[in-house]
Amino acid sequence: MLTRNFPTGLNQSTLSRNRNHIRLIITGLAVFLFTAGLSAQDRFTAAIRKGITMMDSTASSAANQETANYFERIANAEPGQWLAQYYTGLTLIYVGYDESKDRETRDLIFDKAMEFADKADKLHPQNSDIYALKGYILFMKMAVAPQSRAMTMIPASNTLLEKAIALDPANPRGYLLKGQNLFYTPEAFGGGKEKAAVLLKQAAVIFETQNNNGIEPSWGKRRCQSLLDKIN
Amino acid sequence: MKQLALFITLSCFLLTAQGQINISGTVKTNGRPLPGVNLRLVGTYEGTSSDSTGAFHFISPEPGTFTLVFSITGYKSDSVKIVLDSAALNLSLTMKADMIELNAVTINAGTLETGDNKKGAVLTSLDVATTAGAVADVVAALQTLPGTAQAFGENGLFVRGGTGAETQAYFDGMLVKSAFGSQLPDMAGRSRFSPFLFKGTSFSTGGYSAQYGQALSSALLLETKDLPEKTSDEFSILSVGVSAAHTQRWKKSSLVVGGSYYNLAPLYSVIGQNIDWIRAPEEVQASVQFKQQVSKRGMLKIYSQFNRTRADLRTGFGQSQDPADIVNRNNNYYVNATYKDETSNGWKIQSGLSLYINNETGKVNANQYKLDNDQYQVRLVFSRYLFGRNLIRTGIESSYNKHGEGWNELGRHFNNRMQAGFVETEFYLGSKFVTRVGIRTENNSILSAWNLAPRLSFALKAGIHGQLALAYGSFYQNPDDTYLVQNHDLDYEKASHFIFNYVYQHSGITFRAETYYKRYSSLTKYDFEGYSQNIGVNNFTNLRNTGKGYAKGFDIFFRDRTSIPGAQYWISYSWLDTRRDFRNYPALAVPPFAARHSLNIVYKQYIPWLKTEVGTTYTFSSGRTYYNPHNPVFLGNKTRSFNNLSLNISYLTRVFNEFAVVYASVTNLPGFNNIYGYNYSADGTKMNPILPAANRNIFIGLLVTIGDNTFNH
Repeated sequence: MLTRNFPTGLNQSTLSRNRNHIRLIITGLAVFLFTAGLSAQDRFTAAIRKGITMMDSTASSAANQETANYFERIANAEPGQWLAQYYTGLTLIYVGYDESKDRETRDLIFDKAMEFADKADKLHPQNSDIYALKGYILFMKMAVAPQSRAMTMIPASNTLLEKAIALDPANPRGYLLKGQNLFYTPEAFGGGKEKAAVLLKQAAVIFETQNNNGIEPSWGKRRCQSLLDKIN
Repeated sequence: MKQLALFITLSCFLLTAQGQINISGTVKTNGRPLPGVNLRLVGTYEGTSSDSTGAFHFISPEPGTFTLVFSITGYKSDSVKIVLDSAALNLSLTMKADMIELNAVTINAGTLETGDNKKGAVLTSLDVATTAGAVADVVAALQTLPGTAQAFGENGLFVRGGTGAETQAYFDGMLVKSAFGSQLPDMAGRSRFSPFLFKGTSFSTGGYSAQYGQALSSALLLETKDLPEKTSDEFSILSVGVSAAHTQRWKKSSLVVGGSYYNLAPLYSVIGQNIDWIRAPEEVQASVQFKQQVSKRGMLKIYSQFNRTRADLRTGFGQSQDPADIVNRNNNYYVNATYKDETSNGWKIQSGLSLYINNETGKVNANQYKLDNDQYQVRLVFSRYLFGRNLIRTGIESSYNKHGEGWNELGRHFNNRMQAGFVETEFYLGSKFVTRVGIRTENNSILSAWNLAPRLSFALKAGIHGQLALAYGSFYQNPDDTYLVQNHDLDYEKASHFIFNYVYQHSGITFRAETYYKRYSSLTKYDFEGYSQNIGVNNFTNLRNTGKGYAKGFDIFFRDRTSIPGAQYWISYSWLDTRRDFRNYPALAVPPFAARHSLNIVYKQYIPWLKTEVGTTYTFSSGRTYYNPHNPVFLGNKTRSFNNLSLNISYLTRVFNEFAVVYASVTNLPGFNNIYGYNYSADGTKMNPILPAANRNIFIGLLVTIGDNTFNH
């Protein structure tokens, strides 16, 4: 098609030489566009997968911050990908765990985590894992100042987790997080380890049957086991 | 050769896509390295985090012009434009702490906020409910905060030398004519509203916003909760009565229906009373509360409450030498409906409607008396943020109130219409300085006059966790209804406040010091022999606005929620110097409701293995003045100081597998002999001490919540 625009008066050999070039260019362009087009999704998947590996292997609070920063970079570059927003929210929770930070900062971290969870919710409404994440964040925010927040935020967190379970009863993280809430809520306030154990065992059974190769949320098996170990 | 050029460009592009450019540098704040900063090239996945020395390094696979954003929670995000060619790039970046987000300066002179989520909150609603000695009364709990005085024998919240009537309560922004029931002789009553209705209380000891008027000393802003989480039932059995409530939650709305019956007779038969009760106080209360989430930010709340109280007693009160028999009945209806929403262009609208109807009837010996008080109010407020955190707020109010008094066959009444408007702005100069400028105007038909009240506040950041603030304001209030009904030519009473404070707040520690000067003018005076009591109906002659006075002093507050695990405590101390010439005072005098020194120490401890919270409150108040007809100096005598140590215990448990709290409280545990003052008979020969209704009160109760596993009330 390009040839049509070629100026007249060029001789055949020039034309054929040019044709070769054009073929090369078209091929190059096609390959480039193809790889670019294909790799956009692949690149995203690979990036998330790398992040999940980072998330699973981090232990220090500095490493948690690095992982959250890593996901935040992807989330910013891919504003339409709910998983990027989801993992940023999730890994920010781990950043907020760090009790050496002052309360005000931890509060802001959980607020930021909630912003990412809300973004994910907008992109992918009525998703069990996103509701589970919101419930998780809210419970952690409660834990920053339990004396003043337990009364309102524990029930609000549980409501979100119950919705997560209702949206997908096969999602183990709904049970895990509700169990975790109960585990850390004193018995006298409606929590307790016995009640937690029931839900955690339910989660553990589902975790056993699931394989987790994709980039969709699949975390929680280890956390579930460590909580169960603390109960027994 | 165009195609060749294209080819070369493309090849170069493809080639250089593999080319790598080193970007490195450091991030610092105030010369210190800042770890954990997220550095990212906008539009790409590329970037890194700064390490523990603030250093960073990453490789960009592409050349070109990029924006490098660097951000970390608690600091202002920033960015730089960078051009990436073949050369490596080394950057020195600095970041500033974000005061706006983390420790923004706020208008706080004179304000003590309580609330569950608010920054700067001093007490949470749970704190109010669990403060020993307060017995879940909002006003009693606030009496442990600086700037307040013990109420002793009068209804109301007494702030910085002001009378109880100088503090007004605002229920979701709507003025409540009175938050208290009938005033019984020499006895402070409980406020009418349950602390569990509210998610937050902002208690201002002066210099408050132009949004609120008709209060010379203090504004108590009560903000109701939003939608409850769950459908549940709860009931309580107390040593003084029973209560029950049902909460129904739908998707976007909720309904709470509750009722209670209290009768103090059984308790009084066990606990010795200093009052000669003919019929111990009895109260019936019913309430209905409906809330609807109308739109994303639109919320409709309708609250209605009915109270009926009755009490009969015999007292040595008054001008007669014989004891008087008092009968008191009070019916109160209150409805408050508010709607708030936000328009698409950012205006916040709050509208409200309230109805207050209070009928009090009674007898003093054979004489019948009657007090009727109605108030209807509408309010509309618009507010909007402009350029970031700057705010403009404007509103109008209109209310109608009616007051009637009857004594046997005699009767008198008046009506009043009030129109009010206000406008106020808050603006920030940087993140370290904020100022609030407001003006309020009111017109009352009974006074046939306008008033104009300017309000001004400044706050300045002092260090990362501290701030200094300054406030000034003019405040107007109508003379008491009982004066207005007797004289229609009165004028506004006026107070001016000057406040200076310092607040430090960081990770569970709050320290607050505030000093103030308050000037009263145009207070109502009248002629009356002796010291008037406030039961029934009184006649005053020569009512006039020639009273004046002042109050000055300082308050200190220290609160610690972190040092002791599971515990928190606060200490508040107030020093007050006040004199006023009002009512029938012959000259400036220290009023009986003002104590020079007030001290409160509140300690609460949760003991996990006992599932018990123990709370204790110690209150000290230096002697208060009383009227002695034999002393030529008016109000020249002082009582001894007041001491109280209260204890409460909440044990969390299960009853029939439902969440329950067993609650016990004791006031004045050591049994201090407290005297509130003295009453003299008309001829001055008899002197009776005014004593607390009981030297020691004991209160026990059981609260059960059904259907909600989590701690709610």
